[in-house]
Amino acid sequence: MTNISVESTDDPPKLNPMSWKRYFSFSTDHKVIGVQYLVTAFLFFLIGGLFAMIVRAELLTPQLDVVDRSLYNGLFTMHGTVMIFLWIFPANVGLANYLVPLMIGARETAFPVLNAIAFWLIPVIGVLLLFSFFLPSGTAQAGWWSYPPVSIQNPSGHMINGEFIWLLAITISGISSIMGAVNLVTTIFQMRAPGMSFFRMPVYVWTTLSAQLLQLFCLPALTGAAVMLLFDLTFGTDFFSPFKQGDPVIYQHLFWFYSHPAVYVMALPAFGVFSEVIPAFARKPLFGYKTVAVSSLLIAGISMLVWVHHMFASATPNWMRVLFMVTSMLVSVPTGIKVFAWTATVWRGKLHFQTPMLFALGGVAMFLFAGITGVMLASLPFDIHVNNTYFVVGHFHYVVFNTVTMAIYAGIYYWFPKITGRMYSEGWGKLHFWLTFIGANLNFFPMHPIGLQGMVRRISSYDPQYTGWNVVASLGAFLLGMSTLPFIANVVSSWLRGRKASNNPWNATGLEWTTTSPPAIENFEEIPTVTSEPYGYGESHRLAVDPLSHLS
Amino acid sequence: MESPTRSGSMLKRDNLTFGFPVFLLSESIIFVSFFATYALLRWKNSNWFPAGVSGLDIHGAAISTLILVCSSIVIYFAERSLDRHKLVRFRRLWLLTAALGVIFLIRQAIEWHNMPFGLDAGLAGATFYLLTGFHGLHIFTGVVLLLYMYFRSLTPGNYNLGHRGVSSVSLFWHFVDVIWIVLFVLLYVW
Amino acid sequence: MRTFNIVLLSIWVGVIIFASHTIGQQAYDWLPIAAAAEAEPVGHLFSFLVTLGTIVFLGVMGVLVYSVLFYRARDTSDAPAIRGNLKLEITWTVIPILLVTWIAIYSYNIYQRMNTLGALPLAHLHFVEAPAYAEVGNNNMQRAEQIEVIAKQWSWSFHYPSRNITSTELHLPVNQPVRLMLQSEDVVHGFYVPNFRIKQDIIPNQTIEFKFTPSRIGQYQLHDSQFSGTYFALMEASVYVDAPERYSQWLAETATRPPVPAANPAKSEHIQPPAMPLRSNWHTVPPAQPPLINK
Repeated sequence: MTNISVESTDDPPKLNPMSWKRYFSFSTDHKVIGVQYLVTAFLFFLIGGLFAMIVRAELLTPQLDVVDRSLYNGLFTMHGTVMIFLWIFPANVGLANYLVPLMIGARETAFPVLNAIAFWLIPVIGVLLLFSFFLPSGTAQAGWWSYPPVSIQNPSGHMINGEFIWLLAITISGISSIMGAVNLVTTIFQMRAPGMSFFRMPVYVWTTLSAQLLQLFCLPALTGAAVMLLFDLTFGTDFFSPFKQGDPVIYQHLFWFYSHPAVYVMALPAFGVFSEVIPAFARKPLFGYKTVAVSSLLIAGISMLVWVHHMFASATPNWMRVLFMVTSMLVSVPTGIKVFAWTATVWRGKLHFQTPMLFALGGVAMFLFAGITGVMLASLPFDIHVNNTYFVVGHFHYVVFNTVTMAIYAGIYYWFPKITGRMYSEGWGKLHFWLTFIGANLNFFPMHPIGLQGMVRRISSYDPQYTGWNVVASLGAFLLGMSTLPFIANVVSSWLRGRKASNNPWNATGLEWTTTSPPAIENFEEIPTVTSEPYGYGESHRLAVDPLSHLS
Repeated sequence: MESPTRSGSMLKRDNLTFGFPVFLLSESIIFVSFFATYALLRWKNSNWFPAGVSGLDIHGAAISTLILVCSSIVIYFAERSLDRHKLVRFRRLWLLTAALGVIFLIRQAIEWHNMPFGLDAGLAGATFYLLTGFHGLHIFTGVVLLLYMYFRSLTPGNYNLGHRGVSSVSLFWHFVDVIWIVLFVLLYVW
Repeated sequence: MRTFNIVLLSIWVGVIIFASHTIGQQAYDWLPIAAAAEAEPVGHLFSFLVTLGTIVFLGVMGVLVYSVLFYRARDTSDAPAIRGNLKLEITWTVIPILLVTWIAIYSYNIYQRMNTLGALPLAHLHFVEAPAYAEVGNNNMQRAEQIEVIAKQWSWSFHYPSRNITSTELHLPVNQPVRLMLQSEDVVHGFYVPNFRIKQDIIPNQTIEFKFTPSRIGQYQLHDSQFSGTYFALMEASVYVDAPERYSQWLAETATRPPVPAANPAKSEHIQPPAMPLRSNWHTVPPAQPPLINK
C-alpha cells in the first residue's frame, strides 16, 4: 500500500504525512478517519457474512445438522449486531467523514479529535463482541432486539456473560455514534464554504445530515433502554421483569423508537449515494433536486413516529396499531419522491454503465421492490400474518443489503479514484456487480414466499415444506460470500498498482472533484466560492464554483 | 480546545457553541427515556413503594432543589462578571457554584445512605437509584468541569480570544439543573 | 409519430394493468390455505396490495429498463439539463398520498372486520389467582368456546375449563367462534397459526383475550412467533379444526384419561443433545416442566 503516497502530476509534492502508516495512527484528518472506518467496517462485514453463511448452511436442510441451537442463536444475534453496528453504521459514517468536508468545501471536520475517538471505539466494540464467543456462557443469544425476559434469563449465572458484553458494546456504540453525529452535524451547519447555502449542498450532504440528526435524537433511547436492561440483568432490578412490577413492552417501545429510525440512518446515506452517482453517469442534473433534498428531512421526521409497526402483534391497543399504520404508510411518500426523481434523472439521459452506475441502478431497482413490500408491511392486517416471519427478513435484507450495501459499493467505486488517486479495474468491478446482484436476489427473494407461507424467523430447524426456497436462499448466500472476492482483489491490486486517476475522472460536478486525487491534507489550496446549485450537468457553469475567487 | 489552528480558527471555536448544545439535546433524550419508563411504570403500578415506606423525603429534596437553583443563578452572575472582565469576582462566584454542587452531592450521598430500601427493592428502588444516580453523575461531571475551568482561568491571558469553554460549562450546569427540576417533580412530588 | 407514441403507451399501460391483475389473482395461492373466517379478508387485502404493488413496480421498472436499453451514451457529451418539472413532482407526491390513504382505509376496514380483540390485555394477573376473564362480556360471543392457552419454555398446553381437561393439541370446533385466553409462564411468546392469518404476542403475567372463527376442517400447525430462547424452533403444536360431533367426541374421550406429563421434544433434546459438527457447550435455560395432560 506504499504507492498511495505518489501524487498525481499537478499536485505539489507532499511530505511523509501521506505515508500509509497514517492509517494505523490516531489521526485527526477526516480523510484518514474515513478510510479507517471503511476498511474496519469491511473487515467486520466479512465476519458478519461468515456468521450468515453458517446460519444459511444450517438452514440448507430442515433438521438441525451443523450447529447446536445455542450456537445458532448466538450466530444470528451476532450476525445482526455486527452487520448493523459494525458494518453499515461505520461504513456510512466513514464515507460521510471522507466526503462531507470535501463536498461542502471545508478543510476538516468540526471536532477532529472527537471524530478520531469515535472511530477508535469501533474496534473496541468489535473485539468485545467477538471475544464473547469464548465465554463459558457464550455470546448473546437473544437476537439483536434483545427482548426481555429472554435476554435477562442468564442461565450461566455469571456476571460477565454474553448479554452483558452485548449491552456494553451497544452502549459504547451509542457513545461513538453520538460523537460522530455531533461532529458531522456541526460540520455541515458551521463549516460550509462561502456561497454553499443549504440549497446548494449535494443531496449526499442532506441525507447525511438527516441520518445524523436521527442518530442524535433517537439513539439515546436505545442507550437508555440498554442501561436499564443491563441493570435488570446484572443488579437484579425489574424494569422489564413482568413477574414483579416491570413491563417488557416498555423495552420494546424504547428499542423500536430508535431501531426503526436506525433503518433510515442506514438507508438515507444510500439514497445520497444514488443521488450523486446517477446524475454523473446519466450526464443530467438530478431531477427535482430541492424536493429530493427536503424529502430527506421529511423521511427522517416521519420515521420517528412509526415505530409501533414493529409491534403490531405485541401488547398494543387497537388505536395505537391503527395510528401507526397511517404514519408508516406516509413514509412511503417522501421515499417515493426520491425513487421517481432518480428514474426521471435516468430518463432521456446519456447513460454510461461503469461499475458505480451498475450498483446504483441495481440498488434503486431492488429498493423499489423493498419499498413496495414495505408498504405491504405497514398494512396492519397483512402485517399480522407476516410479522416475525421470513417475509420481514426478506424485506429488511432488500433494504439493508440490496439497497444500502449496494449503495456503499457504488460509493466506494465512485469515489475510489478520489480516495486512492488510482482507478479500479472496470472488468473486476462488473464481475463483482453481477455476482452481488444475482447472489442478493437468490438469497433474499425466496424469503418472501416462505414468509408468506408462514415460516417463522429465528428458527434453527423448520418444517420440510419450506425446504426448496431455503436451499435457493442458502446457495444465494454462498454466492454472496464469493462475490466479495473480486471486490477485495480489485481494491487491493488497484490501490497498489492501479492506473493513476485524474482529479475528475468521471467529469462530475461537486467540490470534491475540484481538488487533487487524493486530496492534500487540508483538502483545498483555496477555499472555493460556490455560485449555483449542484449537479450542473449539461450547463455551462457545471462545477458551480467561482474560479476567480481568492477568498480564505 | 482554544488554540487557533492554521485554518479557520474562528470557525473552529464557534463550533463548540453550536456543537455543545446539540450534544446536550441528544443527551437529554437518555433522560427522557428514563423519565418515560419511570412515568409509565409508576402509572401502571398502584402500590409503588415497598411495604413500610410511604414516600421519599420531599423536604430534603426541596432544599437540594433550592441549592441547585441558587447555583444556577450564581453561575449566571459568574459568567456575567467574566463578560465585564472582573476576573477575581468570576473566580469567586465560579468556585461558589462548584461548592454548591459539592454540597448537593453530599446531601445526595446522605440520602442514599439513609434510604430504607435498596436498588433491588422493586421499581421504587430501581427508578430512584437509576434517576438520581445518573443525574448525580452529571453533577459530578459538572463539578469536575467547573474546577477544570477554574484552574484554566489562572493562566494569564486565557480569555483573550473569548470564553466559549466557560459558556459551555455554564450551559451544562443549567441543563443539569433543569433535569433535576423535572426529576424532582416526577420522583418526589408525584 | 405522436399518435403512434400514444398508442404504444396505452398498450404498455394496458399490459401493466393486465399483468398486475393476473399476478394479484395469483397472490391468493402464495398464502397457505385459509382456514379461519379472519383469513378470507386478509387474502383479499394481500391480492389488492400485490396488484397495486405490481403496477408501481412494472411502471417504474419499465421506465428504468427502457432508459437502460435506449438511452445509452454514444459520446461523452452531457444530456439536456432538465432540472425538474413542478407539475410532475406534485403529481408523484399527490398520487402516492392518495394511494396510501386508499390502502390505509381498506386495511382499517378489514382490521375492523377481523376484530380479534388480541390487543386488549384483560388485567395484570398473578398466577396464584384464578383468571378473571369472565366479566368481559360480548353479547354475540356468549357461545364462544373458551380455551386457556398456556405457553412456557418450550411447550404449548391448552386447558378446556368447561371439561377441566388439558392437552398439547389444540382442538377447535369448525365455524364456531373460539375465545382463547393467552398466558405465558416465563418469556414473551407468540401465538401464530399461518392458516388462520392471526398472530398475537403473549406477554408473561397477563391474560390476553383472542378470538377468531376456524372455518375449515383439517390439521394445522401452531408456531411460537416471538423468539423465546434456545429451543424456540421446537415450540410447535398441532391444531385440529374438527366437525362439531368429532369435537365433542374428542372432549369426552379426553376427559376420561388420567393426567400424565406430556412428551416434550425440548426436554429430550436438553437431556440428550444431538451430536453436531459445531458444538458450543454454552449454558442454556433448562426447559420448564412439561404440562400434565389428559392422554
